[in-house]
Amino acid sequence: MKNKERKGYFGDFGGQYVPETLMSPLEELEKAYLKLSKDTRFKKEVSYWLTNFVGRPTPLYYAKQLTAKTGGAKIYLKREDLTHTGAHKINNALGQALLAKHMGKKRLIAETGAGQHGVATATVAAALGMECIVYMGSVDIERQQPNVQRMKLLGAQVVPVNAGSKTLKDAINEAIRDWVTNIKSSHYLIGSVLGPHPYPTIVRDFQKIIGEEARKQIKQQEGRLPDYLVACVGGGSNSIGLFYDFLKEKKIKIIGVEAGGISIKSGKHAARFAGGRPGILHGTFSYVLQDKYGQITETHSISAGLDYPSIGPEHADLYRSKLVEYTHVTDEEALKAFMLLARTEGIIPALESSHAVAHAVKMAKKLPKNEIIIVNLSGRGDKDLAQAIYHIEKMKL
Amino acid sequence: MSNFSAAFKKSTSAGRPAFMPFLVAGDPDYNTGLAMFKAIVPYADMLEIGFPYSDPLADGPTIQAADERALRSGIDTDKVFSLISEIRSFFKGPISVLVYANLVYQYGIDNFYKQAAKSGIDGVLIPDVPHEESELFVKAAKKHKVSPVFMITQTTTDARLKKILQQAEGYLYLVSVLGVTGSRGSLGKETFDFIKRVKKQTTLPLALGFGISSKEHIDNAAKAGIDGVIVGSAIIKILEANLSNPVQAAKETEAFIKELV
Repeated sequence: MKNKERKGYFGDFGGQYVPETLMSPLEELEKAYLKLSKDTRFKKEVSYWLTNFVGRPTPLYYAKQLTAKTGGAKIYLKREDLTHTGAHKINNALGQALLAKHMGKKRLIAETGAGQHGVATATVAAALGMECIVYMGSVDIERQQPNVQRMKLLGAQVVPVNAGSKTLKDAINEAIRDWVTNIKSSHYLIGSVLGPHPYPTIVRDFQKIIGEEARKQIKQQEGRLPDYLVACVGGGSNSIGLFYDFLKEKKIKIIGVEAGGISIKSGKHAARFAGGRPGILHGTFSYVLQDKYGQITETHSISAGLDYPSIGPEHADLYRSKLVEYTHVTDEEALKAFMLLARTEGIIPALESSHAVAHAVKMAKKLPKNEIIIVNLSGRGDKDLAQAIYHIEKMKL
Repeated sequence: MSNFSAAFKKSTSAGRPAFMPFLVAGDPDYNTGLAMFKAIVPYADMLEIGFPYSDPLADGPTIQAADERALRSGIDTDKVFSLISEIRSFFKGPISVLVYANLVYQYGIDNFYKQAAKSGIDGVLIPDVPHEESELFVKAAKKHKVSPVFMITQTTTDARLKKILQQAEGYLYLVSVLGVTGSRGSLGKETFDFIKRVKKQTTLPLALGFGISSKEHIDNAAKAGIDGVIVGSAIIKILEANLSNPVQAAKETEAFIKELV
């Protein structure tokens, strides 16, 4: 949608497609963020929590045995799975919760798919003494039980969403409805680089530390920058977090991996670039999986965190400008990578991150041994054990 | 004079706010939906008709369920247009539609307004397009002589209101409460202060929606200076309770509306 005079666009994508009630709170959020993001004290506060609570910096780990087994390029893992709560989601949850606190908000609203963002938000809410309510599709509640229990233990209220596809998309609708009703007391802590401006920018800014650390670490370990970056893309926060600091490096090839589900042909997938087209969902103009008339279609992925019909608007722009290449990996390939990483490296990855690992392994095989791939290992797989084992047995992998 | 201003003038001179019932097109299916419209038009000064959408984030559970029923029965954008053309043959008052942005965009913005005009639609309200993003939509609306209708809420500042007023036509849709659509117990003082605040700044007719479900709501809003009221969820709830018996649904809806107007 060409609208060049408007703020909050990444090329043609982005914007603020929200009900009128939300325009004033979005303006308030933007102002507060612009002010605080330049404030040295606020930056120090965020940095204190990232170091002492989240456990940053996370290691960049050379997966020596995986590399040997693959027989090609060197594979490095950015260990976001080692953060407190076990995924990159906490970087953003912490930053936004501190922002909300400075804005005088006492209640955090979050949506969650895999439950990692819900857990991260519930965790920072507990640590900062804030109220927390998490909307979660009932299908996701079923497949991510451990995270539901964690959120409850942390004092959050988990609200099941039974509308539509009963997954992340519907949880976001419900979170927005709550926000419209409680704008004065509440901050909507969106978990990915999605939604209306300024969210995609704020979330990216809180996640870009992943790439900034990785740059320093690979220089220390290899004395040079990597040749490839690989990350899975649901809404797109862990991927933009890794990619952002490297976008200006023209020699680095950057690859985002979407959920290929059963297959693209079957329609049971969540690959927005392979199967979608530009449209409007949840406040932003981006690539969307939809029918001929624009009704949003149901998606499928074994991984709840990638099971979403749209993608962050900045990714849509990176796709169109070809700065990032997007591909997809099937459920089965992701499950095989899940097992492979567990057995070769002693690391159980999240099913989301397994998509990135699967693609990296595929690539590495064909590349010379002196080339370097950094994979964002965005989260740990404990939450996925029951699901993964069920499917592994069913598919006889 | 536009269809809207004539209708508002008529109800104002009768000393009451215009009554604008809302139904989702094709809820629960095309023919039952059409019968519902036939039942309500004798009491309606204007109609508001919703295009069913998979992700209606400004709507509460009642309208969301209505959207799901309509979509399940196979309603799509083209069928909504033909339904409205049929309604046009027996209803002469203004028809406004509520449609989410993606449905308009995917139909082709210009094509959507062209088809809207052809079907006899007088106004188009897109709840997820604030004035900042409305340029292309308003342009197409004006080209095809359809009124771009905008929502105003309690969080709309006077500065924003001024900008919205530069684009709005037909009437202003005042959102009574912070929140989503759906019937509520009572309207508070802030709703009436809100009506008075907007009234001072425009000559466009003001219609109040979200949560209007009783004669008392309507009378109080009229006292505060409202020109029209939109009643949606309260009517749809009656339909929802009588899905197995459409005749009964129409009968009960008529009885409910008679109490309101």
